[in-house]
Amino acid sequence: MPVYEYKDLLLNIIEQDSEYFGYFEAAKEHKLVVKKCLDCDLLRGEPGASCPWCSSMRSEWHEVSGKGTIYSYQIIPHAILPGFRDWTPYPVVLVELDEQSGKPLEHDGLRITANLLDENMNPEHEENVAIGKRVNVVFQDMENGLTLPQFTLSDEEPAGAIWRYPNT
Amino acid sequence: MESALKDKYSIVGIGETDYTRGSGRSTRALAIEAIRNAVTDAGLKMQDIDGMLSYHGGDSVNSSTLAYDMGAQLNFYMDCSGGGSSTEALIGLAIGAIEAGMCETVAIFRSMNGYSQVRIGGTGSRASTPVSGPGLMTRPYGLASAVQSFAFSFTRHMMEYGVTSEDLARVKVAHSNHASNNPKALMKQRVTVDDVVNSRWIVRPCAHLLDCCLETDNATCIIVTSAERAKDLKQQPVYIRAVQGRGTKPGGDFHYQHGPISRVAGHYVGPRIFDLADLSHDDIDVTGCYDAFTYTVVLQFEAYGFCEEGEGKDYIKSGIVNLGDKRPNNTSGGHLCEAYTHGMNMVIENTRQLRGMVDDYCPDWQNGNHTYDYSEGGCRQVRNVNTTMNMGWASPATGSALILRR
Repeated sequence: MPVYEYKDLLLNIIEQDSEYFGYFEAAKEHKLVVKKCLDCDLLRGEPGASCPWCSSMRSEWHEVSGKGTIYSYQIIPHAILPGFRDWTPYPVVLVELDEQSGKPLEHDGLRITANLLDENMNPEHEENVAIGKRVNVVFQDMENGLTLPQFTLSDEEPAGAIWRYPNT
Repeated sequence: MESALKDKYSIVGIGETDYTRGSGRSTRALAIEAIRNAVTDAGLKMQDIDGMLSYHGGDSVNSSTLAYDMGAQLNFYMDCSGGGSSTEALIGLAIGAIEAGMCETVAIFRSMNGYSQVRIGGTGSRASTPVSGPGLMTRPYGLASAVQSFAFSFTRHMMEYGVTSEDLARVKVAHSNHASNNPKALMKQRVTVDDVVNSRWIVRPCAHLLDCCLETDNATCIIVTSAERAKDLKQQPVYIRAVQGRGTKPGGDFHYQHGPISRVAGHYVGPRIFDLADLSHDDIDVTGCYDAFTYTVVLQFEAYGFCEEGEGKDYIKSGIVNLGDKRPNNTSGGHLCEAYTHGMNMVIENTRQLRGMVDDYCPDWQNGNHTYDYSEGGCRQVRNVNTTMNMGWASPATGSALILRR
């Protein structure tokens, strides 16, 4: 059954939902994938049904390194979804992957939304979350067969300055 | 390019229900009351309405159902899927329908039990909706509400331009001052910067509770017809100078793939509407800037060019947005203090401003007499309003705009 229960959510990950199905299938094999256009070779972080650069509908899932940098973040102390209440305050990060950063246009990048987790797969402490920090993908395997790509802080030094809002 | 239709269509009627948290009524009953109030305001009968437009998120009543209650024979109607920034866009579509000869007088409505039934904030029934499609990339990570879906833009903007919680709080303070002179407002009490930054966090670092708008039960209605027909109706016509949107950032960008992510759709909508209107920022006397959150106001003033990128906080801090200053914003209190209506109330307020008939606490406002004393419990009519602008927001990536004239 392609319907998974996770934190009181029902996730309908069905084969016909062709833009997203492969992302979660690859996650089960602990691979982080993005779509690669088979005509212009550009990657895209949001899978989509056609290439935003050349309009080709020919694409394949392409494994990426899973290394990236926190591009933006938020800390959620007030969960809207009931299943996330025991996780609060939890971080959600927008990660810019190393591949194709700043291409094809200056401010473009492959950006993936996920939680920032610690080594025990619990939400990372808020004071450790900052824009500019380096992260690696990790895979959160559930008993029901669902795997979610997530991120964890890397030992790598940040390439530039890091930033988090002061006194929070 | 200047619009060939500028000033050829008018807003001739406006109406709303009470703004409550617990209407105890259906969206159908709310809608009919708002439409009735707008029809009465215009000096029309229900049966004079032959076009209808609405927007909803699966949480409202359809035009065809209301036609029964109105005894109306419709020549045109559409119920569109959409949220914020639809108000302005549907005013444009109403003009299009009339211009195409499909109908003559269009009632645009939005009806929502946004507090007691379907909450835009995502709690209640919306939290248990099965997830598929693009939502699979965000919802399993605990993103559900509007502010959570916008927060990556907000936080990144804070970093780029040094915006603080206090900067954001000043938006709420200004709008609360305005709401204190609005008998209809859900939250009339004036608040301070400290009140806002001491309210509980909703999303760190970009939104405290008082940075967020007020989920409200309400319906609202705006009636559009030709300027020619408007001359024979009850109210002083308010002319639709130009409308633009809903427009998007390049690529739609609902998942932050393009940048800068702190630059919002108004950056693309703005130049077009000023071209269509053949006007500039200096011509705008009053703004209505979609305030789902304090941050949406900061970003839109920048995107529409009322200030430079990064200077939205300074624009607010300068006081220009306050009643009594050069270009007041959201004089009704907006979504933050009057009510959350998905954008309708800020167009309604600007219509009242242009008529000189703001429903404040001035004893003789119904005859257009105002004190221009903006202290608490007083006046909120702006002097000599000739031109207003609305800036609608659906998300960082989608927005719309409307310029009205007297």
